Formats: sequence, C-alpha cells, structure tokens
Amino acid sequence: MTNNSKVQSGTYKQTLFRGLWRENPVFRLLLGMCPTLAVTVAVKPALTMGLSVIFVLVCSNIVVSIIRKLLKPHLRILMFTVTIATFVTIADLFLKAFVPEMSERLGPYVPLIIVNCIIICRAEACASKNSLAVSIVDALGMGVGFTLTLCILAGVREILSTGAIFEIPILNIQSQGGWFVPWAAMSMPVGAFITLGLMLGLVNAVTKRQTKG
Amino acid sequence: MVRIKYFVKQSWLLIVVSFCFGLLIAAANAAWQGKIQQNEEDKFETIAREMLAEAVSFETAIEKAELQTAKGKKIKTDIKKAIAADGKCAGWAFSCEGSGFADKIKIVLTVDAGFEKITGFGALLSNETPGFGDQIKLPYYRNQFTGIPAGHLTLVKTGQPDKKDSEIVAISGATVSSEAVVKIINHYAEQVKKQLQSKGLVTNDK
Repeated sequence: MTNNSKVQSGTYKQTLFRGLWRENPVFRLLLGMCPTLAVTVAVKPALTMGLSVIFVLVCSNIVVSIIRKLLKPHLRILMFTVTIATFVTIADLFLKAFVPEMSERLGPYVPLIIVNCIIICRAEACASKNSLAVSIVDALGMGVGFTLTLCILAGVREILSTGAIFEIPILNIQSQGGWFVPWAAMSMPVGAFITLGLMLGLVNAVTKRQTKG
Repeated sequence: MVRIKYFVKQSWLLIVVSFCFGLLIAAANAAWQGKIQQNEEDKFETIAREMLAEAVSFETAIEKAELQTAKGKKIKTDIKKAIAADGKCAGWAFSCEGSGFADKIKIVLTVDAGFEKITGFGALLSNETPGFGDQIKLPYYRNQFTGIPAGHLTLVKTGQPDKKDSEIVAISGATVSSEAVVKIINHYAEQVKKQLQSKGLVTNDK
C-alpha cells in the first residue's frame, strides 16, 4: 500500500466513524429531531425510518457530488431539495408497495424526510465539496449513526412501554400474570422527550469524562 | 434574447436534472403502482370480510361514487357489493375518511344488504395516540357499532357500550378520536345510502 492510499483509507475510516460518535447527527449535532421523537415508539418503525434515511442520504450525496462542479451557488439549495425530494418519493413508493404496514405506521414522516436537516446538511457540508467516494462514505456513516441512535431510543421506549422488543415479549407484563407494569407514557411524546433528554445527558457525561481523560 | 440566454445559462442544470428525476419517479410509479393498489384493495377486503362474515367476494357496485367531505371537498370512492355463497347480496362496504386527533382517520364501513343496520367498521388508516386514540381499533369500541341502526349516531360520555342503539360510548381519554369515527359514519352513511337508492340498488327507505 502506498503512502497516499494509506492516508486515503485513514480519511475514509475517519469519515465513516465520524457519524457514529464524534458528529453523531442526533446526539451531537441535534439534527433530524422530528423523526427522532415521532417514530421511536417501537424498533421496527425506527429501523424502517433509519434505512429510508440511509437510502436518501447515499443517493442524494452521490448526485450532489457528481454535479458539484456545475452547481451555481445561488441555485444549490434548490438543486439539493429537488434531488432529496426525488429519492424520498421513490423511498415512499417502495415502502407503500413492499412494506405497506410500516408505510402506514410511519405516516407523514417518510415524506417529511425531504425537510430532514441531516440530508441537506451533508449535501451542503460534504457532498458539494468532496469526491464521490468520500461523499458515499460520509452518507453511510451519518446514516448508520442516525439509524443506530433511532433504534437505541426506540428499544428503550418499546421495552418500557410494552415489555417487548421487535414485538417479541422480553418482560413478563402484569396483565399476563407477570411483574412488569408497562409505562404508557413511554409510548407517548413525553416518553420520547424524556428518553432523548436522558440519552443526551449520558452522551455529554461520557464525552466530558473522555475529554478529562 | 439576452435575458433568455442568461436564464438558460443559469438554470440549464436544474432543468435537465428535474427532467431526469421526473422520469425516474414516473418509472418507479409505473413499476409499483399496481402493487400499491393491490395492497390497498387486499386490506379493504380483509377488513370488510371480517365484518361481513357471509361475504365470499366483493364487486364494485358504484365506481368512483362522488361524496362530499365534512369540509365540502368532493372525493371519489368505490362502493362495493358483498356477494354471499348463494350469489345474493350480503351487504355493502365502502371507505370513508375524516380528521382525527393526530392525523386523518380512514375507515371501512360495512352495512347489511338493506342498508338498515351497520355491521361494523375497521380502521384502514389511523395514526391516533398509542394507548388512547388508537383504541378505536379495539373490539370493545368497534363492537358498539355492530348491528346498530344505520341512522344518525350520537356520542355519549357515559352509557352502556353493550346496548345496541344509536348511542356510542366514547373511549375514556380519547373523546376526539371517538367523536371522529362517529362523525365520519354520520357524514358518509347517509350519502352512500342515497347513491345506492338513486341507482335502485337499495329499495329500503327507512
């Protein structure tokens, strides 16, 4: 491996992992809060939303990176929006055709990916300034980071509100003779805010400890 | 001429990209529209069959019947005739919609062959609050609509849910969602009945 390719692979690795922790879109950048709060009632819809965002993010970053040298500065936001809206429409149609149950559960939040700040932010901050490969890796890192965060939040909320995860019972709930009393509040918006707040606090505490260390 | 040249120079990329994306969406839509429509029809029939036990198949009685929403907007919906094993009419099924607490509520309403009694309703689309409004999907609320007269329904806060009359007992903590279902049924049942009567498909005039 030459020095140049070593540097490049290091950059790709850094770019990929940036989205998972250092620049995690939800815990660090506080982007994409709307789906984070709305679709994390259970893991299945959260995962579907995360995968849809990965698809849109990767496709829009590819297109923006390819046309980046032709972009007129004053028309770039319009170009980004047209690009993102196209891939969101395709993702929405796909879900309606092949995963209709999830499409119904996610309701308007799939079309709302168009206004998700993560996607337009990565198009502006990364894809419009970097090569195709870096843009794809960045999209994957950010998308996976977003999906994992959503799934963690949804996992906590689903267990506490139903005693199940992925709709598979984990805790013995009281109505079926068990000990666990499901927290109905966790399936409501208040549950989303409390869980997100606690997670943000935890991430900040870990970061502080890392910085001191 | 100079202005047109300037316009083209500035926006050619946007025009080309929009055209390509338009084609891409058209292709995706053409490829999956049939499947999407089939999914919707399957769901409609599954719900309708659950409430019209005698039905073995459904056929469109009135295609794209024009109905008016509560806000005065015109919508088109298919009114389906349920066919029993002996070939007779087992009832009618149609979809109708209205505003719920969190989002639009879309239901399938089924009535008997003479349009005298409601045989039930099922949620086609509902994103009501989990644990509260989404209880409109549960049997204890839905059963109140089974076998009641297909006339004007009233929502009451307290009462006997088991009693088969035009009084529907609201779900505790979800009055808006409970009221939404009653409003949808009141608003559309009458319109559909009139359409069926005008076509001579239902003769009963009670």
